[in-house]
Amino acid sequence: MKWVKRIAIVLAVLLIVPTVTLLVLGHRANAGIARAAVEINAPPDQVWTWLDDGDKLKQWVSWMVDVKYPDPQKAHGLGAKRVLVLKDENNGGGLMQIAATYTEYAPPSRMTLQVADTEGLFNGEESYRLVDLGGGRTRVETRSRAHYMEWFANFLEPLITPQAEKKMVMDVARLKRLVEAKAEVR
Amino acid sequence: MKPPAWAQLVLWAVAGENEAEFVAGDLHEEFLLLCAAEGRSTGSRWYVRQVLRSAATLLGLRFRSGEAAHLVAAALVAVAMPLLLLDRLWSFVYSNIPFKDGLQRAPGFWAANVVCVCVCAAVCGSLARTFVRAMGVALAAAVGAGCALWCSAATAPLFYAGLVILAAPASSMAVFAWRRSR
Repeated sequence: MKWVKRIAIVLAVLLIVPTVTLLVLGHRANAGIARAAVEINAPPDQVWTWLDDGDKLKQWVSWMVDVKYPDPQKAHGLGAKRVLVLKDENNGGGLMQIAATYTEYAPPSRMTLQVADTEGLFNGEESYRLVDLGGGRTRVETRSRAHYMEWFANFLEPLITPQAEKKMVMDVARLKRLVEAKAEVR
Repeated sequence: MKPPAWAQLVLWAVAGENEAEFVAGDLHEEFLLLCAAEGRSTGSRWYVRQVLRSAATLLGLRFRSGEAAHLVAAALVAVAMPLLLLDRLWSFVYSNIPFKDGLQRAPGFWAANVVCVCVCAAVCGSLARTFVRAMGVALAAAVGAGCALWCSAATAPLFYAGLVILAAPASSMAVFAWRRSR
């Protein structure tokens, strides 16, 4: 009986400690916010096309397979919409769609998109700031804020956000490589 | 003169409580005779061959006696199930990344898996009453961990896979030995 109690205590601790930790971390001020920044050896107008053009976007955002424009006449600019199609390897390779609407569009320096998963799992905001550093160099700052609608995803937010940030850092590093490679060719 | 330790451990792990002592005794007797007649290396080779050849039969006997059912249950419930559940949990976490991500996991997630598997295998080891049963539990824990790794969606690094397969039986045996010493 003594051992059964000990085992029960160990298992309870294994469940309670992570649960309490996640609940506490879920209330931090920057919950759901991921940031990444990179300095690229190319002028802002060259970098801008990589953020705005769907075909180019697919090259540096990993797991993005397609970018659709519901209204091809108004593909860019304030109020324009685009649908990002992503392959979800963690969900059996299924395709997920994210509807994005431009809420700020000031080329070649600022872009903000309101994003929402078409299945209603999350919504949020994705913004890009391009700072001209002079001498043909640009600093790209990207910030993503996500709010999870499902309670379990919301509960796991302290685990999701750091992984999202890590992925974002890898993506902007890929963006840097691609932009600089194209800039060298020119 | 002693036969190879790993072969002895395999024998204790696969044989049931009723058979382990007799089979080990008989093999040891033959081993000593062979060592005296043809040398230690021939004796060791013969011992290993005998253990490997009789492993399936001994395991079959153990299953038929019903004893193995506990081990399979221990391996599935205590080791494979938590690992698979954690794998699903990490898949869910990665699936909720707004711009998605692949099947690679952060080192922290791998570490959580190893800790969880060690604790669960240790709990199983603490429940074993005899050495033979503890060896069986340890073997089942390693097999359970291997099965869970094989079924998991994530791309597991080789180092992590080896660590899990070794840590599960090691923690099970360590807790058994610690409990027996008290």
